[in-house]
Amino acid sequence: MTEPAFDVQLSLVAEAAGMGKIYRRGAEEIHALREISVAFAPGEFTCVLGPSGAGKTTLLNLLGVMDVPTSGALRVAGTTIADAGRVRLAEGGRDRLRRENIGFIFTEFFLLPTLTAVENVQLPLLWAEKDDHSYAVELLERVGLGHRLTHRPTEMSGGEMQRVAIARALINRPRLLLADEPTGNVDTKTRDGIFDLFRELNADGLTIVLATHDGELAARIDRVIHLREGRIVEGA
Amino acid sequence: MSFWRLALRNLTQRKVRTGLTVLSIAVAVAVLYTLLSFNKGYSASLEQQLQQMGVHILVVPPGCPFEAASLLLKGGKPPTYLKESVVREIAATPGIQIAAPGFMSAIMHDDRTDIYYGMDQRTITLKNWWTLKAGGKWFTDDQTDGVVLGSDAAVTELVINEQTDPFAPGEELWVPELNRPLKILGILEPTGTQDDGFFYVPMTVAQQIFQQPGKVTTVAIRLEDPAQAGVIGTQLEKLEGVEVITMSELLGTQQRMMESAKLLVFAIVFIAIAISAIGVLNTVLMSVFERTREIGVMRATGAGKQHIFSLIWLETLLMTAIGGVIGLGVAIVGSGLMERAVVAGLASVKFMTMSEHSQLATFDPRIVVMTLLFVLGIGLVAGVYPAIRASRQEPIEALRTE
Repeated sequence: MTEPAFDVQLSLVAEAAGMGKIYRRGAEEIHALREISVAFAPGEFTCVLGPSGAGKTTLLNLLGVMDVPTSGALRVAGTTIADAGRVRLAEGGRDRLRRENIGFIFTEFFLLPTLTAVENVQLPLLWAEKDDHSYAVELLERVGLGHRLTHRPTEMSGGEMQRVAIARALINRPRLLLADEPTGNVDTKTRDGIFDLFRELNADGLTIVLATHDGELAARIDRVIHLREGRIVEGA
Repeated sequence: MSFWRLALRNLTQRKVRTGLTVLSIAVAVAVLYTLLSFNKGYSASLEQQLQQMGVHILVVPPGCPFEAASLLLKGGKPPTYLKESVVREIAATPGIQIAAPGFMSAIMHDDRTDIYYGMDQRTITLKNWWTLKAGGKWFTDDQTDGVVLGSDAAVTELVINEQTDPFAPGEELWVPELNRPLKILGILEPTGTQDDGFFYVPMTVAQQIFQQPGKVTTVAIRLEDPAQAGVIGTQLEKLEGVEVITMSELLGTQQRMMESAKLLVFAIVFIAIAISAIGVLNTVLMSVFERTREIGVMRATGAGKQHIFSLIWLETLLMTAIGGVIGLGVAIVGSGLMERAVVAGLASVKFMTMSEHSQLATFDPRIVVMTLLFVLGIGLVAGVYPAIRASRQEPIEALRTE
């Protein structure tokens, strides 16, 4: 039996040990991540900083259980996803884990164009066969969009759409919020507003991992992990 | 939020495309429903007409029973005749309630065919549901100058005589073959059968018109017990120079004649349905490709493969169901119009209409349910492949799609 590659700390929200990810395109192998060992404690606000192609999105995808490592070990929300490079949790289990524990925010918001703001926020509940309209409204009010409940994405600004996306990421009361370049598509003023919102959420105890190549933004975050060419070069 | 709502919203994302697909399903369903109800209506109408004849056995001159059946239903000139004396022999057979001789023959004109039906009181007794319009009366057996018109025949004669007022009993009808007029004694109320198109004259008058004294073309028999048709039919076949047709045989013959026409029509309908099913598949598949990123977002927010599969499948089902309901609604409301269009457009089914008064496309809830189930089946099948394609997309790959 293979020994776990990491010390099991059940209190950790996510933990990677010697984790790597290789993508294969035909005969070519792309090492997106190499030997990543990092842990995220509850209530931490972490910034993953690095240039384009450093592996930030891959790391977030692995932490968000959207993808699985090809080597090393990964544990998220107390569940072992992979160990010694072998996937331990089947796809259905990963979907459930994501549904119950993870909130995702993307650069391009990715709201469904046919749904209103409040319906977009409620979308993740659909997969859990739940309906909590009042909580969706509460979240939209919290992100400052109480007056935009029935507006569709095409009727909103970039900053408003990102706020809807944040509310959507919070609807399942996640243990881990993953934000991939969340301010990449908004102006500086809107960026600051969104960042302040992340700060508030973190102050409420939410664990956040934010990936960015914006050094200025990273400077405002307590813990910064520097990624370069798939390796953590600082801050593990 | 529910799956239904999300599926409906997704369908409205490309309104024109969805609308056109729904339309193609609606058209296919409308045609399918119309033909199914038309077919059922035809079978029912045929059976009803044969029952309405009140006849269990027909005795006709020897020859092809198919031809006899066709002549019986539409009128025409028979190739051979029965001797009138055979009627007495038939009537003497035990178990026969009425044996009514008839002389049916046609005079062909360039633009129309006049069908005369020579008969006596026994036919009137046999067809006890016949009623004459107010003021009319039947001729007696020894009368030689009377005629009763079927309701359609009365209208045809109006047009021919360039007359606008309806015929009234007492007016005269010139018969060139007799070189004398016949007095119109009455006009039949519409029966919804071929009877509406005939000129009813006393037996001797018909024999005179066609110069066949002492001959008849058919003997219609009503039995005391219809269950004895087979036994009595066999007995009657022993008579010289006769062909015996029982009504069950005739019904079977008519239905067999219809089978090939039906097969052709249904083959065309099924091709139309197959094309619309491929259209549905194509529409949903395109929509899946276009929404790759949305599907990625759904996966990222926790949707499993089964959720994506169900959603896409539901969208297909909804689209076919909406098309099905619209098609059925149109078909039910406009079935009369469609019946006329189909009859006019397809010569092969034209002979199915027996009279202007008969309604072939009949409403039947079972056909409604059958058509709906069929279209839902199409939706289920057409939706499987796009649903599988959608559910198999890897979330991170889907999110990367431009």
